[in-house]
Amino acid sequence: MSACPELNFNINHGYLEGLVRGLKAGILTGSDYQNLAQCDNLEDMKQHLQTTDYGSLLATDSDEDLTVCLVDQKLKENLVAHFYCLRANSLPPLSTFLDYITYSYMIDNVVLLITGALKRRDVAELLPRCHPLGAFDQMAAVGIACTPAELYSAILVDTPLAPYFQDAVSDANLDQMEAEILRNRLYKAYLESFHRFCKEIGGPTMDIMCPILEFEADRRAFLITVNSFGTELSGTERSSLFPSCGRLHPEGLRLLARAEDPEQVKAVADFYPDYKVIFDNQEARSKLKTLEDRFFEYEVKLNRLSFLQQFHFAVFYSYMRLKEQENRNIVWIAECITQGRKAKIDNYIPIF
Amino acid sequence: MGALFRSEEVCLVQLFLQSGSAYNCVSELGELGLVEFRDLNTQVNSFQRKFISEVRRCEEMETTFAFLEQEIGRSLWPPLIGPLPVPSPAPFAPQPRELMAIEEESERLAWELREVSRNRDSLRSQLTLLSQYRGVLIQTHPLTASQAPPPPQSLETAALMDHRQDTRLCFVAGVVHPWKVPVFERLLWRACRGYIIVDFREMEQRLEVPETGEKVHWMVFLISFWGDQIGQKVKKICDCFHTHTFAYPEHTAEREEILIGLQNRIMDITTVLSQTEGYLQQLLARCVVALPRWKVSVAKCKAVQTVLNLCSPSVTDKCLIAEAWCPARKLLLLQSALIEGTRKSGSMVDSFYNRLPSPGSPPTLFTTNSFTSAFQSLVEAYGVAAYREINPAVFTIVTFPFLFAVMFGDVGHGLLMALAALWMIRQDTPKNIRSSNELWRLFYEGRFLILLMGLFSIYTGAIYNECFSKGLSLFPSGWHLQPMNWSDETLRGNQFLTLDPSVSGVFLGPYPFGIDPMWHLANNHLSFLNSYKMKMSVITGVLHMTFGVCLSFFNYSHRGQWSSVFLVLLPELLFLQSLFGYLLVLVVLKWLLFGPAASDTAPSILVHFINMFLMADSKDNTPLFSGQGQQHPLVTDTSSINTLHGDLERGEREEDEEVIEKFDAAEVFMEQAIHTIEFCLGCISNTASYLRLWALSLAHAQLSDVLWVMVMRISLSWQGMLGSVVLAVVFSLFALLTVSILLVMEGLSAFLHALRLHWVEFQHKFYSGTGYKLNPFSFSSIIDSL
Repeated sequence: MSACPELNFNINHGYLEGLVRGLKAGILTGSDYQNLAQCDNLEDMKQHLQTTDYGSLLATDSDEDLTVCLVDQKLKENLVAHFYCLRANSLPPLSTFLDYITYSYMIDNVVLLITGALKRRDVAELLPRCHPLGAFDQMAAVGIACTPAELYSAILVDTPLAPYFQDAVSDANLDQMEAEILRNRLYKAYLESFHRFCKEIGGPTMDIMCPILEFEADRRAFLITVNSFGTELSGTERSSLFPSCGRLHPEGLRLLARAEDPEQVKAVADFYPDYKVIFDNQEARSKLKTLEDRFFEYEVKLNRLSFLQQFHFAVFYSYMRLKEQENRNIVWIAECITQGRKAKIDNYIPIF
Repeated sequence: MGALFRSEEVCLVQLFLQSGSAYNCVSELGELGLVEFRDLNTQVNSFQRKFISEVRRCEEMETTFAFLEQEIGRSLWPPLIGPLPVPSPAPFAPQPRELMAIEEESERLAWELREVSRNRDSLRSQLTLLSQYRGVLIQTHPLTASQAPPPPQSLETAALMDHRQDTRLCFVAGVVHPWKVPVFERLLWRACRGYIIVDFREMEQRLEVPETGEKVHWMVFLISFWGDQIGQKVKKICDCFHTHTFAYPEHTAEREEILIGLQNRIMDITTVLSQTEGYLQQLLARCVVALPRWKVSVAKCKAVQTVLNLCSPSVTDKCLIAEAWCPARKLLLLQSALIEGTRKSGSMVDSFYNRLPSPGSPPTLFTTNSFTSAFQSLVEAYGVAAYREINPAVFTIVTFPFLFAVMFGDVGHGLLMALAALWMIRQDTPKNIRSSNELWRLFYEGRFLILLMGLFSIYTGAIYNECFSKGLSLFPSGWHLQPMNWSDETLRGNQFLTLDPSVSGVFLGPYPFGIDPMWHLANNHLSFLNSYKMKMSVITGVLHMTFGVCLSFFNYSHRGQWSSVFLVLLPELLFLQSLFGYLLVLVVLKWLLFGPAASDTAPSILVHFINMFLMADSKDNTPLFSGQGQQHPLVTDTSSINTLHGDLERGEREEDEEVIEKFDAAEVFMEQAIHTIEFCLGCISNTASYLRLWALSLAHAQLSDVLWVMVMRISLSWQGMLGSVVLAVVFSLFALLTVSILLVMEGLSAFLHALRLHWVEFQHKFYSGTGYKLNPFSFSSIIDSL
């Protein structure tokens, strides 16, 4: 990288940045959500979405009825198409950056397939449930492995996930719990590596991406802790799953490893002003909002901010995350509409 | 002209459409493109309106059409060149029964098409599969002809082979996508720890990939292994790579048998496939014929239903009430459209309209033709005229090309431009109007504008006496050398000699038209032209602005604001004239009063003008005429006092007039004060702004001069055969630069400056541009966008 990467950023990545900013302008706004929330059925929703950037996405040419599942699938396809368009036109190091985005989906897919195989589900039945962004060639063959070591040496060694497995390999038989732990281990390695990569790129990409990834790491640490209460996961085991690239590292993580109930977790969060707000007055703001929702809200805020600066890669990551959030919102609204639970419909997380 | 001077009178009409005939009436109005409907249901959500089900039905049909069109694009052979043809004459909006027929027929066609193309696709994939099988058998034949012996029974292999009796050689054969070969091979190797033998061969013919439809050389693979467990693993891996595996008998004879069977089946399927293809083409041909008419019909129907959604139902539900803007002189046409609509639907009760008082300002409508539309759009790019406001486009037709030409004055360049415009006018075909090339369409729409700009440039070029930067001597020059009586030595010894016009016989009166070509030889050519062009641009500018101020009279008189005429217009005019009108008088006086003999004593207008403001008097600057000193304070005083008083008084007067509205005297007072200051300062800066006429015309003349001297003259100094070659090369360069820089680039810059002078300096004086356009409901615009 030269001394001033902003100067020649546009040579290689200017087109894609422009493209992604244009796509970002199509993200639904508050008034769109208000309109959507007024709909009485999915057909109305389709009508409304036609006036947005989605256009005739939901217009099916066959006689299939519109279902929430179909909506979800179409939205996902749309996002994946956008992503592949960006990926196909990208040059290094942006292409590597975009690949990093797919790895998280890949991890989820691997874990999904492993748990599916444990439950003796057919691979053909599981494959459609995998996220298409995390697809890789050997994906369907995950089922033939019995232990993580075998999984690694036979299949995953050829995938980009291989480096993350180096810490996670063990000869223990895979079970449900083990799969979850595997997911967290992989995620830890993945986040740390992504964080390192962003630091290597430097410049505004580092300035913006690192806080986002640090937040992601801290969120995982919090959630692992909260979810591990009542399971047989011990404190030391737990601490080995915490990603060490977050802002909680090292002091907060040590405290979290020792925490034994939600109150203690909250006490840890109190040391960090940003997280204090998230854990604070849970009841006062809205009873319906879970901790996860508030994490999402904070994440949306961080991602929204990344569009304020130019000449960096974080916009790509942020676009993907915001779009995912939008998909979740639309699906949520659609679910509420079909199930007739209008009272909960406002529980989406507004983006713009 | 009358139609362009003020926008047409537009009135609000209330249409009572009987529910039986509403559809036909609106469709008649759509054919005419006459009226703009107002939304009477703004508070109703778009999907809760009355005719939304019909709109949805049309939309569903449009999706069917989209499917048909997609199929045509995918499978029609030979493929269609360009988009589907536009039907002419366009069909009318369909009656309900026709719509039903279209719906039925299109759906049947879509269904049939879907069936047939599904059949064809499945046949095709079968064919591909069979060809792949055949390819596998043929390609692997040499591999399996010499069967590998079973491996030596070592300890390692023993672990793998649970069933000892099952140690015979097994094969899995199939095809895999060529891109996946390396990963596939590696995974096989890793998962089976090398206890297999894999062979890859490329297939000879290219076959389709079912998902994408592209043709690739599939890779045939043959995996040989021993044992069941490995077999299962291999099969799983094969599945995960979407390979096509085929039954692979061990004996050569069996394989030959299958091969023959395959050949026959391939033959059969090919025949069936060709028949299916033929039928599919028939269906598609029917689509191509019917689809354009259907699309237009349904688009019209949808448009009509959308308009009906804007109407509010009456209390009795017997009729729909619509409100629409309609040009007043076309009310009869509206009436006849309603009658025609009623007649078509065979309804007993007439639909009718009545005029309503308009609630706000009505929309603006100008009827333009291909000549005036370019000028109108120049004005509208700044702002659409308020209703019944003076339209500057009328005057722009002359002033715009003129101001452009002042900056672009050159006979040669103007001629080229006019010829280009004439060529474009000759290309008057509908193809050009609908051309997808935006840049071309832009120029094409301005073809008459460009023609006028070219013609005016020829005129101003003739006045400047410039043709590709060279002077034309059509008439004998007014300057003569003989009377100066220069000897040969003087002529040889000096590079420059001064012709003195005060010597009798040297200057025999002005050149008949424009600038004397003699000036092109003069050393002080530039300073002479500068002084001339600068004064000329100020004169043009002040006249232009005065004209603009005068035009505001028509706006005031039309609105009956007589107080404004006396309290705004007159003071403004007085201010402008007493400052800049006076300046013009000084300029003209100086031209008239000071001949060559008195040139040494000629006063400086600039100093006079500045002194007038400072109320000072400089001794060494002689007055232009006697009593000029007394004149000055008078002029300044009248101008400033008049303006201030007049404008402020207007503020006070308005107090009486606008009692009805909520009125704030201080606010009006402030507004008028600001307006006064703005106008006074604006006059000065705008006059200065007109100096761009001089600057650009100077730049243009200099640039073309440079081009001639630096490029063209070099080649003219060469002699002989080589000279002609150099001339040809240099001339092409000269022509290229002339067109690209002098015509296109300079032309654009002069255009931009002329545009600015019109928008800011001219239109600001009288034009508010706060209206909005009448956007009539018309089918033709809908069909154009299809």
